[in-house]
Amino acid sequence: MGPGVTNNLTADEITCRELVELVTSYLEGALDEPTLNQVEEHLVMCDWCVTYVEQVQATVDALATLPPEPVPGRLLDALSAALGEARDRRRESR
Amino acid sequence: MLTALRAGDEHAFRLLVERHYPMMRRMARGYVQTDAVAEEVVQDTWLAVVTGIERFEGRSSLTTWLCSILTNKAKTRGTRERRTLPFSCLGDGNTNEPAVDGDRFQGDEDTWPGHWATPPRPWQKPEHRLLSLEARGRLREALEELPARQRLVVTLRDVEGLRSEEVCDLLDISAENQRVLLHRGRSRLRGTLEDYVEQA
Repeated sequence: MGPGVTNNLTADEITCRELVELVTSYLEGALDEPTLNQVEEHLVMCDWCVTYVEQVQATVDALATLPPEPVPGRLLDALSAALGEARDRRRESR
Repeated sequence: MLTALRAGDEHAFRLLVERHYPMMRRMARGYVQTDAVAEEVVQDTWLAVVTGIERFEGRSSLTTWLCSILTNKAKTRGTRERRTLPFSCLGDGNTNEPAVDGDRFQGDEDTWPGHWATPPRPWQKPEHRLLSLEARGRLREALEELPARQRLVVTLRDVEGLRSEEVCDLLDISAENQRVLLHRGRSRLRGTLEDYVEQA
């Protein structure tokens, strides 16, 4: 292996294994410029990692549309009662 | 929306409760010991919102305001029970856990060490599969199973859509810490969905 080359990679290249640990910082825009360049250069070459990043993004998108959960009736009753009291208070203060 | 809430419009309040209930329950549960107490904290929060909405000036987003009331109530309640743990002591999971199982990458003796050995396969028609009710139900279960701090950060960022600065303020953590928790949580959830898609 020649100077500046490790594990078939030049010193400024990153592996897929390293890339998956940088994905969140990448999507958050939190990488410093040299690392950002490394990530982007890697993504140009590696369809698998592009797929990986797409899957993380798809996961984030799916989290924004989780199915609703039933709200306990007790909570809705308490809310309703509190709103009624607030209405009465407003009426009295008028 | 805010006008309707200030007027005490019950329909508007119900919509807001339905939208935020899962996040609030999850958040409260991070500070108190039981589901029942967490529900009480959520209820106390809404009662405080009903009486306080007139004073809400809109300087922060409504969601952030809700979260800050909830956090205060949950902390107070937790302290009273003397069984609460500060956020920094909540379960973190293994922070060294890799985003992807190391077995899926080539080893030092292979041709391309550190590159994929078992690469991810594209999720066909993700818009169909991931938005299927079953897939999202599985995702919600997986979210509940995350270590507490990861669960809170992922909920606030990705489910509720808060900005990272807002989450750092609410949970009193550094940007770096927030990003690590988000990363661990999202990585694990991607893995859950990958298993789901591969089995489907």
